[in-house]
Amino acid sequence: MDDYEPGPVPSPRPLDRFGFVKPELNISPDGLIKGRSACEYEREERRVRKWRKMIGAGGSDWKHYVRRKPHVVRRRIRKGIPDCLRGLVWQLISGSRDLLLMNPGVYEQLVIYETSASELDIIRDISRTFPSHVFFQQRHGPGQRSLYNVLKAYSVFDRDVGYVQGMGFLAGLLLLYMSEEDAFWLLVALLKGAVHAPMEGLYLAFSFVPLPIFVTEVGDGYFRWRWQKWVGLPLVQQYLFQFDHLVREHLPKLGEHFTQEMINPSMYASQWFITVFSYSFPFHLALRIWDVFLYEGVKIVFKVGLALLKYCADDLVKLPFEKLIHALRNFPKDAMDPDTLLPMAYSIKVSKRLEEMKQEYENKNGKTAESAECNEKQKQA
Amino acid sequence: MATTGNKNINSKLVLLGDVGAGKSSLVLRFVKGQFIEFQESTIGAAFFSQTLAVNDATVKFEIWDTAGQERYHSLAPMYYRGAAAAIIVYDISNQASFERAKKWVQELQSQGNPNMVMALAGNKADLVDTRKVAAEANATGFVLQLTCLQEEAQQYAQENGLFFMETSAKTAANVNEIFHEIAKRLPRVQPQNPSGMVLMDRPAERVASASCCS
Repeated sequence: MDDYEPGPVPSPRPLDRFGFVKPELNISPDGLIKGRSACEYEREERRVRKWRKMIGAGGSDWKHYVRRKPHVVRRRIRKGIPDCLRGLVWQLISGSRDLLLMNPGVYEQLVIYETSASELDIIRDISRTFPSHVFFQQRHGPGQRSLYNVLKAYSVFDRDVGYVQGMGFLAGLLLLYMSEEDAFWLLVALLKGAVHAPMEGLYLAFSFVPLPIFVTEVGDGYFRWRWQKWVGLPLVQQYLFQFDHLVREHLPKLGEHFTQEMINPSMYASQWFITVFSYSFPFHLALRIWDVFLYEGVKIVFKVGLALLKYCADDLVKLPFEKLIHALRNFPKDAMDPDTLLPMAYSIKVSKRLEEMKQEYENKNGKTAESAECNEKQKQA
Repeated sequence: MATTGNKNINSKLVLLGDVGAGKSSLVLRFVKGQFIEFQESTIGAAFFSQTLAVNDATVKFEIWDTAGQERYHSLAPMYYRGAAAAIIVYDISNQASFERAKKWVQELQSQGNPNMVMALAGNKADLVDTRKVAAEANATGFVLQLTCLQEEAQQYAQENGLFFMETSAKTAANVNEIFHEIAKRLPRVQPQNPSGMVLMDRPAERVASASCCS
């Protein structure tokens, strides 16, 4: 990429407050551009001061504060992190700041000296990631360059995952709030599981998991494990399985309607999970979801998905297949208002069932999926 | 629907092919008449529908546009199972995308609906001219390679019972034509009980069986 001259800077067009080109016919695409009253402005100022105090200079007080008052932190994050502090707070709550400090020079090494088998794939997708955002519009401009660097670095850092379509939207969203290197380590924190369970399974071609119930002793203190091969984006498959069940439990009428119309979550929710709502979703809502996602983990994705369906359920149950698919891809504006949707999402409890259904999914697939027996020798401890 | 007989056909169609071959652009051109130079990558799959009038019938295509990357392969069967038609797309300027197209054809032949109407689309046909000019200028083997790919594709299509067209979503060349040709080739009598098809085979006229409220 470095050999290319940057293309022309796109001619100035009206942008929303996040830097996306406004759709021409839409007068108020996100409801946030209407003028703010002085009162709102003051409230925002107070909020930022509170947050600054909580974080300390450069994040110095953060860990101490979280240990002392985790519930206050959670409550404040759920109300939304002030936009001017978002980049810093995201790095603190995701554990990426620690990774960065522990690995000085690693990013530079990955970007400059290593080559990746995915380079062409990444280049092909660069101009197709947030094409309507001003930062990523200029051909070979700073936005496209840093996006390329982060994705290439990750594909080298984890060659099993490499580059997968969808990662660009994660990286792109992060790059709007932090430097390349910071964005890279946040991606690592998420996919490798610095704070929450690792999410690399969203992008893996397959994974092997040992099935302890099939362990047999082959003598001499050696065991034969039975490994199971999970094919294709294994974590996406698991999340969709879990989500399908949650829909049926929380919204039985809608679940029944989906069955009748032959709709399954893969048709509308796979990109919710693969990109954590950063793909074709209103950006202001995506940011609020990410605030909570980075602090509380992936369960917020399930909760928001359920809340969206719940909010629109009365309409959705009346729609036939085609209109239903359309509605599931184009939720109405009022449903997308974070201050309506998120409180609804917080009130839905999913943790326990998610865990149970994960077990169920693993058991089910242990019986049906292709399994591979390996003579993996495991010395008895 | 009130119409009886074979005049109205609902047909599920799936687009398959390599990353960046132009699947989404073909659909967008066909359904909305638009072309976007930097089309956002498709994550998961997208759904569209469009109706065509062909001779004696009206064909409504229910189109699933899939993600191209190999890694997404595991999500594809859901979209091609039970599909009545498929367009396998490759990029005429990219040999690797043609190889990938052949793999899709093989997979559909072994896993898909045996009566599926399959079309092979060599997309980005608008690039031919620019490439020719470039090739003449620097005397590389580009033209030769492209011509070969076209002949190869034609031959491959013939041997495998597909029909082949070079298309351009950018200039709209052959886009309507390819869908039109599929519509013409669709079997006119839909099987009453399509067996062995999963998930997407909605009973065509479930409305008719609903109680007759007015």
